[in-house]
Order: sequence, then structure tokens, then C-alpha cells
Amino acid sequence: MTSMATPLEAGDFAGRPTPRFRFLRELVHKKIAMIAIFFLAIFYLAGIFAPWVSTDDPNYQRLTIEDRLAAPSGDHWFGTDGAGRDLFSRVVYSARTTLLFTLVVILTGSLFLGLGLGLLAGYRGGWIDAGIMRVGEVLSGVPTLLLMLAISAAFRTRLNDVAFWLQENTFLGDDARAIVPFLIIVGAALPFAWIGSARIVRSQVFAIREQEYVLAAETIGVSTARLLLRHVFPGVLPIFLVGVSAGMAGIAGSEIALSYLGLGVDPSTPSFGTLLQNAGGVRTFQEFPHMLLVSGVPLILFFFSWNLLGDALVDIVEPRTYRR
Amino acid sequence: MSQGLAGYVIRRLLWTVPVIFLISVFVFLLLRLAPQDPIDSLLGQRYDDEIADRLRAKYGYDRPLHIQYLKYVQNLFQGDLGVSTRHGDFSVAEVVIPKIRVSAGMNIMAMILIFGIGVPIGVYAALVRGSFLDPLVIGFWLLVDAVPVFITAVVAPWFFALQLGWVDLTYEGVIHPNIILPVFVMALPGVAGVARLMRASVIQVSSEDYVRTARAKGLRERTVVTSHVVRNALLPMVTVVGLSLPGLFTGTLFVELLFGIPGIGREALLAVLGFDFDVVLGLVLFGSILFVLANILIDIAYGFIDPRIRITAARSV
Repeated sequence: MTSMATPLEAGDFAGRPTPRFRFLRELVHKKIAMIAIFFLAIFYLAGIFAPWVSTDDPNYQRLTIEDRLAAPSGDHWFGTDGAGRDLFSRVVYSARTTLLFTLVVILTGSLFLGLGLGLLAGYRGGWIDAGIMRVGEVLSGVPTLLLMLAISAAFRTRLNDVAFWLQENTFLGDDARAIVPFLIIVGAALPFAWIGSARIVRSQVFAIREQEYVLAAETIGVSTARLLLRHVFPGVLPIFLVGVSAGMAGIAGSEIALSYLGLGVDPSTPSFGTLLQNAGGVRTFQEFPHMLLVSGVPLILFFFSWNLLGDALVDIVEPRTYRR
Repeated sequence: MSQGLAGYVIRRLLWTVPVIFLISVFVFLLLRLAPQDPIDSLLGQRYDDEIADRLRAKYGYDRPLHIQYLKYVQNLFQGDLGVSTRHGDFSVAEVVIPKIRVSAGMNIMAMILIFGIGVPIGVYAALVRGSFLDPLVIGFWLLVDAVPVFITAVVAPWFFALQLGWVDLTYEGVIHPNIILPVFVMALPGVAGVARLMRASVIQVSSEDYVRTARAKGLRERTVVTSHVVRNALLPMVTVVGLSLPGLFTGTLFVELLFGIPGIGREALLAVLGFDFDVVLGLVLFGSILFVLANILIDIAYGFIDPRIRITAARSV
């Protein structure tokens, strides 16, 4: 109210960093977070540029005794697997699978569904809010992996027919065989991907809705869509990003778990799940430890980096419990 | 006040009914509309149209979907969850209950381990915050948390059973030393979460007025920490315990799979792969209802532990 009385000059904000830049600056100051970001950048860049980074065709098989299950060497940096495929290339392409999967699920699940439903629930309130939140509550209570397995298994049996049809009749060609199972696991992950971010956004909207500038915008007749996008959304953004980064490891993990059980990506598509499945059990690990190590270590570092980054972001957004 | 709580609980329960109904319809349709059914996986290579038709008639899979669903719900209200086609028509309860027992036993042990390790570590990290030890300790457990179970469940047996020879890998029942390793593997990823929450909670409680009062009146630091800080900081743990209650009965798939333990997680996977309709549906419903109940229990428990919450809850209702 008082700010209405004394009109603000544009220069008032000149020297002050905006909250968004403060967010970035604090992040840069956290060394551990920067190390995590550095590793994640390597991981994702390797995934994006997989065809150039990899040293070999990830699916090229060498079925001779000396080429199968070979330990790491100059020719094959990470060794080869049971079918004589170059593991370095397979790991690089697995990073690509992880990247693609998390990207698609984050964009459709967390961003589109989560943010949308969260804004709707928080802004509209009432029974819309109650409905959305209860559905989310129960969905997060359903044995997630079990339901994902059921979804994946239910759609899997007709898979080959659909894939072949797509291969014959669309521009997809050979890629159809990889795309169809990929879409199935995306579909299996989506019902659960929106809940966390919707919850965070909703509670944040509740707080922002009461702010005077929102009331002011409402008073001058700003449309709901514009109000949400221009006035509410920027306030929600930082904590939304924290929520997404906290969910990243889980989303990537769900693809890996499904692929590990043979209900994920097509067996020809490299994935950390199938790599670790191939690395086998205790006896295989004793005989050929390189298979588990070369796929396991990058994956552990990937999860670890997201854990550290998530921790650092919570630190910045909610300093109350962390720094005093 | 108690009326407010009762009303709140009843309202939550009423919301549960339509949502559980929707989930049951969704899972039911998901399974029935899949191009495969239990008969296909039951007969496998010996598939024969005449036998398959007779079996489908026997289980009622040849009838219209809505009749099948109504029949299922009718049986459900009589306490009949149906039969497991994969287990020679034993009832779902007969198949599932012994396996739930195994999983629940292991999960309880794992939970005790998680809190036994996580709570002291969280308190320690909070007490040494500001020094390098705090991020080091929490960071270490974050690293442990980052190791997928299907890696630990290979490396840990290799090290402890094959290299050191301390344990055997055979499953001999839940009350047996051989269970220690799988339980340990199950517990490891959970420690970081509990430790982090406990740390944040301790830090928050440390700034409360009554802690300052306790220090001001000259209590020993040890007493302040144990009986003022830690006791109150344990409150948010109620949520963690409550939220992990349903998990006790849903099992841990990967540990059971890799250690060959006949638990409910493995049973669920095999049921899904074999399209064992009634077992999958029964397990999904069971898990969902448990989760809702656990959530309500948490709210009630909070009210008992912390009267301040009870009052505000009653006011808002």
C-alpha cells in the first residue's frame, strides 16, 4: 500500500540484482553444486553428441571368443559385452536414452501437466483443487513400479504389430522399433511424473495469490491466463526448478528399472538398465567385473550429481533450515 | 475438537472411495484390454483353441467386460479377491499372504536399520554444521543413496559371500542370519533421506525459544540436545515412518529378485508378466488403500504427539 503512495522510479532497482540472478549467483558460489553440474554437463553432452563421441557402432557384434567379454583395452576403452559390442559406445548411447527419456517426461509430465494442474489447483482452489490433489495423493500411493510394470506389460504384446506397421507406413522406418517401446514407458511414467511438481506449484500459488500485486492485477482486469503466466508463474519458478531437480533421478531411475526388468526400451536400444541386466549376477561380476563397473560407475555419478545439485538448490531456496 | 478431527478423517475417507474406484476400473481395463490374458501365458506353447475357450469360460473371461467387473466387485465385497491362474486356482489371499509376511518381516528389519543409522547421523551432522564434517557425512550418504539397488545387490554378495565368506546367499527364511545381507542392501539407500530430514529438523528445533531457555537455565549441553532438541526433532519422522508403512507390504522387487527371496515384490512382477488378473488387481488395490490409511494415521498421530497441530486442524475444519 505504501508503495502506491510513493511512485517508484525506474532507477530504484538499478543496483539491486533481481531474485533470479541472486539464485544463479548463489548457485555459482556452491563448489559442490558446480562439480555436480560439471559432471552432468559431460553426461548430457555425451548423450547429445553420442554419434560423435562413441568410438564404434553400439550394436555392432563381434562373435569371436577373443572379442567377447573382453576387458577394457586401447581398442575398447570400456571392454566389450557378451555379444562383443563395444561397451564405451553403449554407455554413451545409454546416456542419450536417459537424456531423451527424462527430457520427454519432464516436458510433458512435470512442466505441462504438473505446472498446469498445480497452477489450476492453487489458483482456482475449491473442489477442483481437492479433486486434483486427491487423485495425486492416491496415485502416489499406488505401488508405482507395479502399475508401471502393468502398463508396460499390457501394451507390450501388440508392440511388434504396431512397430512393423509404423515401419511400413510412416517416415519412421527402422526407428519405429525403438520408438514404440520408448513411448510406452513414457506413458507408464507420466501418471506419476506430475504429482510432485503440481504439489509444490500449488502451495506456492496459494502464497502468491494473497500478494497485493496479484490483487492489483486482478482489479485492473487482467485475464486469468496472463495473470498466471506473468504474475504468478515467475514467483513459482525457482521452487518449481528445485522440485524438478529433486525428481530427475527418480524419473531417470524408472526407465532404468523397467529396462532392467525387460519391460523398458527395446533390447537393441542401449540403456543403463539393459547394460546392468547384461552385467548379470554375482558370478558374472566375479568373472567379468568390467561390465558392471563401466556402466555402474557413470550411472552412480549421475544419480549422485543430481542428489548434490538438488541438495544445493534446496539450500538456496530455503536457507532457513540450512545456514545460520 | 475431537469432532473436528473425526469430520476431517471421514471427509478424507469419503474422498478415497471414488479415487480407489477409478483406480480399480483403470487397472481392470488395462489388464483386460491388453491383447494377452492369463490363459495365453498359462498354456504357452501348448495353446489349443478348444482348451483355451473352456478355460476362459471357467474364469468368466468370455463375458462382457462390465459383467466381469461387477462380478469382481461383488466378490470383493464378500472378501473374495479371486483366484490366481498361475498358482493352480489357489485364492489370491492364499498366494499373497505368506509372501507379504516375508516382505514385511524384511522391511521392518530394514526400517529399524534405516532409522538406527539415519537418525544419529542426522543429529551428528546438525551438531557439527559449519565444519567440513557436516557436508562430508551427508555427502557420503548421498553417494550411498545414488547406488541403484541392483548394483549393491550384486556387489555386496560378491564381497561378503564370495570374497570374505561371511554369509551364505541361500534363502532360509526371514529369521535366519542369511537375511542380514539382503536387509542391509535394502536399507542403505534409505539412510540418506532420514539423515537429511533429521538434520534439518534438529537445526530448526535448535533455534526454538525453549531450547534457549534450557541453555539459559544452565542445563548441560548433553541434556539440552537429548531431551529438548532431539526429542522434538523426531516429530517429522512420524511422517517418514507413516509413509513407509505401505511400503512394508509392497516389497522390494530388486532385492527379492536378486537374492531369490519369495517376497511379494517378486510375486507382483511374475503376476504382471503372467497377466494373473486377480493377483495384480488385488495387490494394486491393497497397496492404494494402505497408503490412504497410512496418510490418515499420520494426521491423527500428529494430533496426539503435538497438541498445537490438533487445535489448528480443528479450527480449519
